[in-house]
Amino acid sequence: MAAPKGGYFGKILEIDLTKQKYKTRPLSEEECRKYIGGAGMGAYLLYSNLKQGHDPKAEDSPIFIGTGPLNGTYCVSTRISFVNKSPYTGLLSHAEVGGHFPGEVKWAGWDGIYITGKSKKPVALYIKDDAVQFIDAGDMWGKDTYTTEEMMLEKIKEPLARVAVIGPGGENEVPYACVMVERFRAAARTSTGALMGNKKLKAIAVRGTKAVPAVDNKKAYEAMLAAKKLAVEKEAWQGIKRWGTSGLLELKHYGTGSLITKNFQTTWWPDIVEIGAEQANRTFWKKHTACNHCPVHCMKTGVIRGGKYDGLIAEGPEYETGGLLGSNLGLSDFDGMMALIELADALGLDAISAGGCLGFAMECVEKGVLTPADLDGIELEFGNADSAVEMIKKIAFQDGKGGKLLAKGVKKMSEEIGKGSEAWAVQVKGKEIAAHDPRGDNARAYSYVLGTCGGDHHEGTSPATLARWAMINSLTMCSFVGGYPWGKETPGVFTAMLNPLCGWNMTDDEYWTTAKRIMTLERCFQVREGIRRKDDRLPKRLMTEKLPEGPKKGQVFTEELLKKFQDETYAYFGWDDDGIPTDDTLKALNLEFAVKDMETARKA
Amino acid sequence: MEKDENKVGDIFEKSTTRRAFLKGAGAAAGVAVAAAAVGSVQPPVAKAAQAAPKPMYKYLFAERQNCTGCRACEYACSMYHEGVVRPSVARVHVIKYKGIVDVPVICHHCSDAPCIEACPTEPKSIQKDPKTNGIILNPDICLGSKCLKCKDACPAEFIRVHPDSGQPIMCDLCGGDPECVKACAMQATNPLGPCLMAGKAGFGVNMAFRDVTPDEAAEDLINNLYYPNEDGGRR
Repeated sequence: MAAPKGGYFGKILEIDLTKQKYKTRPLSEEECRKYIGGAGMGAYLLYSNLKQGHDPKAEDSPIFIGTGPLNGTYCVSTRISFVNKSPYTGLLSHAEVGGHFPGEVKWAGWDGIYITGKSKKPVALYIKDDAVQFIDAGDMWGKDTYTTEEMMLEKIKEPLARVAVIGPGGENEVPYACVMVERFRAAARTSTGALMGNKKLKAIAVRGTKAVPAVDNKKAYEAMLAAKKLAVEKEAWQGIKRWGTSGLLELKHYGTGSLITKNFQTTWWPDIVEIGAEQANRTFWKKHTACNHCPVHCMKTGVIRGGKYDGLIAEGPEYETGGLLGSNLGLSDFDGMMALIELADALGLDAISAGGCLGFAMECVEKGVLTPADLDGIELEFGNADSAVEMIKKIAFQDGKGGKLLAKGVKKMSEEIGKGSEAWAVQVKGKEIAAHDPRGDNARAYSYVLGTCGGDHHEGTSPATLARWAMINSLTMCSFVGGYPWGKETPGVFTAMLNPLCGWNMTDDEYWTTAKRIMTLERCFQVREGIRRKDDRLPKRLMTEKLPEGPKKGQVFTEELLKKFQDETYAYFGWDDDGIPTDDTLKALNLEFAVKDMETARKA
Repeated sequence: MEKDENKVGDIFEKSTTRRAFLKGAGAAAGVAVAAAAVGSVQPPVAKAAQAAPKPMYKYLFAERQNCTGCRACEYACSMYHEGVVRPSVARVHVIKYKGIVDVPVICHHCSDAPCIEACPTEPKSIQKDPKTNGIILNPDICLGSKCLKCKDACPAEFIRVHPDSGQPIMCDLCGGDPECVKACAMQATNPLGPCLMAGKAGFGVNMAFRDVTPDEAAEDLINNLYYPNEDGGRR
C-alpha cells in the first residue's frame, strides 16, 4: 500500500469517544486518487464501514470530517466536508463548510477525522498537530455556539486555533441541528449537530503548524496562482464580493421568479426591498469577511442600531437564511429576520430546515389545522417575526408541545397533524428544501431530487454539473469559487493544480470518471438504504400548484420534466431505470465491492 | 513589559477609545512626517549610512477595518520565505477575535525598534536593513528559545517563534517589495479596498497603532464598527 506522494499526509485521525483513545488510519495512494477526499472519501469510508440499515445513533456510528488535497495549499477558498449517515433522513449526507477550520485540520497533518463512540460526559477535542486532548466540556454544555467557541479558545489558551461547535440544538438532538464553525459558518443539512450531541461532543478545536507535502511545489503554486487570478477577475463575482449572496434575494424575486415565499405559496414578495441586500447595505452591514485565502469575501456582518434588537451583531442575510427565515415566513421586518438568523446560528440550528418548519407551521395555522393551543399559545402567523423568534428558541430546547412538534421536521409534522397538511409539506427525502423554488428555477430540481443528500441546493443543475459538484465537494472547494469560474465544462484548472501537487497524471477523462465514481458510490449508499426512482421526487405542492404571480406566473413543475431529469441523470451516470447503478457501470468505475449490494437491491 | 522611553513612544497613550486613538494618531503623523522630511531616521548600521543610498522610510501599514480575515498575506508570506504555505511561520498574521473582527498583526518597523534594543548579543543578531528598513535576523548568532527578549519587547506583540528553530520570526519586508501587500491588493477588492499597504501610505499613523496589542485593537474595532451595547454582549 503505497502512501500518497503529495497533497495528502496519508493518514486519517480515528477518534473513539467511548474509550477516549485515538489512532492513525493510513490512507493509500490508490484510495486518495479514487475518492479524492471530503465527501467522496467520506462516502467510501462510510460505505465500507457501515451495513445496510445501520442505526445513525448507534455507538459505532461515525462522523467523518474530511479535507481534500487542495486544503492547506496555495489554492484559494477550500472547505471541509462533514459526512455522516443522517439521523434525520437515514441517508448518507455531506455538508461543506468554509472558514479557517479546514486549513487547520490539514496543517495539523490529517486528511480527515473519523469520530466514533459515545462519551458519557460532555467532552471537547483539542487537536494540536499529532496530539489529541480530550477536554471536559461540562461547563460549556448548554451554552450557545458563540460562547462555546470563546470558552473553548480560552480553555486551550491558543487564540489561533479554530473551533467547530454545536449549540443547544445539537445538545437536545434536534434532528436538523448543525455544526457551527467560527461563529457564523454552518455545516448544516446533515444533522451532524444532532449526532455530535448524541455523542456528547460539544466542540472540536484544531491547530496545525505543518505544511502540506507537494511533489512539485513550484509548478503547483503557479497553477494555483493562475486559478486564483481567474477567481479574482471573474466578472460575475464582483456582485458577490459587493453584496454577498443576499443580492440574490432581489434577483430571484425580480428576475428568476424562484424566491420562496410563504412556505412556497408564491415566489413574488414585493417586501423584499425591506429585507434584502439593499436594505442590509444601507442599515446593517459593517464588514466583509472571507474564508481562508478567498478573494470573494461573500460574508457580511453587521449590527442593528436602535429598536428592540439594538446592538445585535449578526451575519447575513445570505440568500438561504434570508429566504427561509425572511420571505418564507412572509416577513417584512428586517430586524426580526436578523434576530431569527442570529438565533439559528447561536442555537446551532440549520436555518433552512428551521425556516421550512416555521413556514409549514405558519401555513398550518393559517389553514386552521393547528391552533395556538397546539403551539404553547404562540400565535405563529406569516409576517409575525416575534412569534417565530419565540418558537425557534423552543425548537432548540425541544421545549413544550410546540417546540417538540416543530423539532420533528416537516415530514413527521405533516404525518402527525394530518388533515390534508401533506398538500403543503415541502420536503424531499424527509428534508426541507432550500430557498430556490424549482417551479421558477427548473434546473435546481436536479440538485434537490437527484443530488445525493436530498433537498440540497448545491449539488448541480444538470447531470454534468451533478458530477462536477460531486468532485468539488470531494476536492472540498468552495462551490462558488471552485464551481463557477473554474468548473465550466473543463476540469483543466483542477488537474493543472492536482498533478504537480500529488504527482499524478490525471487527464480530463480520469477527472470525469472520478466524479462519476464518487456520485455513483454515494448513490449506492442511498440505494442500499432503499432510495429508488420513486423517491427522487419533488413534493406535491411544487408539482400541482401553479405559481400565482411573479415573473414565472403560471409555471408548475410537470411530471414530464421530472421524468426527463431523472432519465437524463440515470443515463449519464449509468444507472438503471430504477436509479440503481448497473453492474457494468460499477465495474467500469472500479466499484466492484458494491456489485453484490446492488444486485440485492434490484431483487428487493 | 516596560514601555520604552523613546522619542515617539511617549506621545502615544495606550488607548482603546476611538477619540484617544485619533489624538495619538494625529500627533504621530506629525512626528513621522517631520522625521522623514529632515532625514532623521538613522540607519542602524553606522558605516552603511555614508555609502548606501538615502534611506527610505519604509514600513507596513494595516487599514484594520478593511481586513476580511482571508489570510492571503500569511499564505504569500510563508510562500516567499519558506517556499511552502505554512501560516504558522508566516511573519504577518491575522487574528480573528470573537468571530466578528479580523486584526492583521504586522511589524511596524518602528524607528526606535525596541526589538533590536532588547537584543543582548554582540553584534546584534537582529538588524535593520538600511536600504529597505526590513528587520534581518542572523540565525547564526541568535540565541533562539533561550532568549526571546525581542519577542517580549515588541509592543505590537508581532514577533512569534518558529516552531522548528525556536528563533523569532522577523519581517524583512521581502527586500523592499512586501509580498503580503501584493497579495492583499489582489485579494481585497471589496468596496473599501485593501488592508495592507507599504511605503508611506501609513503617514505615520502606523506608529500610533504599534503600541496597541492585537486584542486591544480587536476590542477597539468591535467598538468602532459595531457599537455594541453597554455590556458588549449580544441580545
